[in-house]
Amino acid sequence: MAATFFGEVVKAPCRAGTEDDEEEEEEEEEEGRRETPEDREVRQQLARKREVRLLRRQTKTSLEVSLLEKYPCSKFIIAIGNNAVAFLSSFVMNSGVWEEVGCAKLWNEWCRTTDTTHLSSSEAFCVFYHLKSNPSVFGSCPRKNMQITILTCRHVTDYKTSESTGSLPSPFLKALKTQNFKDSACCPLLEQPNIVHDLPAAVLSYCQVWKIPAVLYLCYTDVMKLDLITVEAFKPILSTRTLKGLVKNIPQSTEILKKLMTTNEIQSNIYT
Amino acid sequence: MFVPCGESAPDLAGFTLLMPAVSVGNVGQLAMDLIISTLNMSKIGYFYTDCLVPMVGNNPYATAEGNSTELSINAEVYSLPSRKLVALQLRSIFIKYKSKPFCEKLLSWVKSSGCARVIVLSSSHSYQRNDLQLRSTPFRYLLTPSMQKSVQNKIKSLNWEEMEKSRCIPEIDDSEFCIRIPGGGITKTLYDESCSKEIQMAVLLKFVSEGDNIPDALGLVEYLNEWLQIIKPLSDDPTASASRWKIPSSWRLLFGSGLPPALF
Repeated sequence: MAATFFGEVVKAPCRAGTEDDEEEEEEEEEEGRRETPEDREVRQQLARKREVRLLRRQTKTSLEVSLLEKYPCSKFIIAIGNNAVAFLSSFVMNSGVWEEVGCAKLWNEWCRTTDTTHLSSSEAFCVFYHLKSNPSVFGSCPRKNMQITILTCRHVTDYKTSESTGSLPSPFLKALKTQNFKDSACCPLLEQPNIVHDLPAAVLSYCQVWKIPAVLYLCYTDVMKLDLITVEAFKPILSTRTLKGLVKNIPQSTEILKKLMTTNEIQSNIYT
Repeated sequence: MFVPCGESAPDLAGFTLLMPAVSVGNVGQLAMDLIISTLNMSKIGYFYTDCLVPMVGNNPYATAEGNSTELSINAEVYSLPSRKLVALQLRSIFIKYKSKPFCEKLLSWVKSSGCARVIVLSSSHSYQRNDLQLRSTPFRYLLTPSMQKSVQNKIKSLNWEEMEKSRCIPEIDDSEFCIRIPGGGITKTLYDESCSKEIQMAVLLKFVSEGDNIPDALGLVEYLNEWLQIIKPLSDDPTASASRWKIPSSWRLLFGSGLPPALF
């Protein structure tokens, strides 16, 4: 509870996120004594529905073994978010032939659809590709030599600096790398006290703990929808050891990127 | 699960584990930052778990260019072998329904690692105090029965206040009395589980409100220091407190970035 200057007493949100948790858990304990088999069944069904499933892309059947066992690779590149994905599609996947090898499907209460089997392409999902021509990418090298590159974007207001974020030259690139990543990043490292959460953080945490070399390239931008300038901010990454060999035709890539932008542009009109 | 930084797990037999509860004002976590930073504890491993929201960042205790680029994750373990201290720092909140599984995993690691005792730094909502608590010191302690046997005399000599029992259901007059720690996160669960598993555990907490909780964290480490004497005991000058503890470099910009000059 907090008293405001206007004389009212309001419930202040707890930074530690404990309020709801405590009540929920107490309720859970009480309900546990009264939980019927139906309640338990509903909970279990919900848990099953929320499991992440890996499927073969074309046939939509489950992959029996882990993707990396079936397609061991030395370079694993993950793009998270529309701008990062656009960069990867136009510049990297445009060079050489990439084959879809699988996809990950997931559902939770935040998804707007209740159907877990037929997700349309506009909904959040993940597709895995491997480079057909080059065996070192998703190729036959043992897992120990694997290097992971993650690309993602964040809004510039998330970046903490002693100047005002309005004066920053966005978009700009920052990097975070694990202890075992020995190469240098192509941009400055993310300074304290900035942090990253969500999927990029989960991947990087895993890599740090299990000593896998990994680097996260984070683009701070003020435009979160698909934007040419934001995507081009990832360009310095093309000079890194991971991507150098993969990218062949940069001018063509830029053309493809421009096409991607126009197909995604919705005529902005306050009447639509 | 505990994953060591090096090749093998360090020997923690007989060590005292200091850990925070993610609680109101994040006081326990801030206090842990002060301890790790002041004692210059070295990282010995990670507590890798899916129970906490993932987060990463560069070394929060960096003092120079050279040590500023080591990646840190949401749950890490530090140690100071010369003082037989091991510290667990938690940097994010629990994922829904995962706090109890976390407590179980944590306590099983405490038992298997051979730690002699656990001290949990926590906090509780100051607005939930009763009249008596409002008039007394804001610090409280709790000991599990097995801990009581070994440190009761020392604690008695410090003249500390034990956490009082309050009505289990505050609104009902004839409800039973029990230990309640509103806003304390997993503190109560850890305490209850340690009691039943006969783990030596002490809880040190302060009644706080959300806001700038740095003074509360300094208060809590001084409270802990009265007992453990981690650093030189406090002289009569209370204002000397702030300068004895090393504020980590990651505490910069706690309240956001700089302001646009155009605002003025």
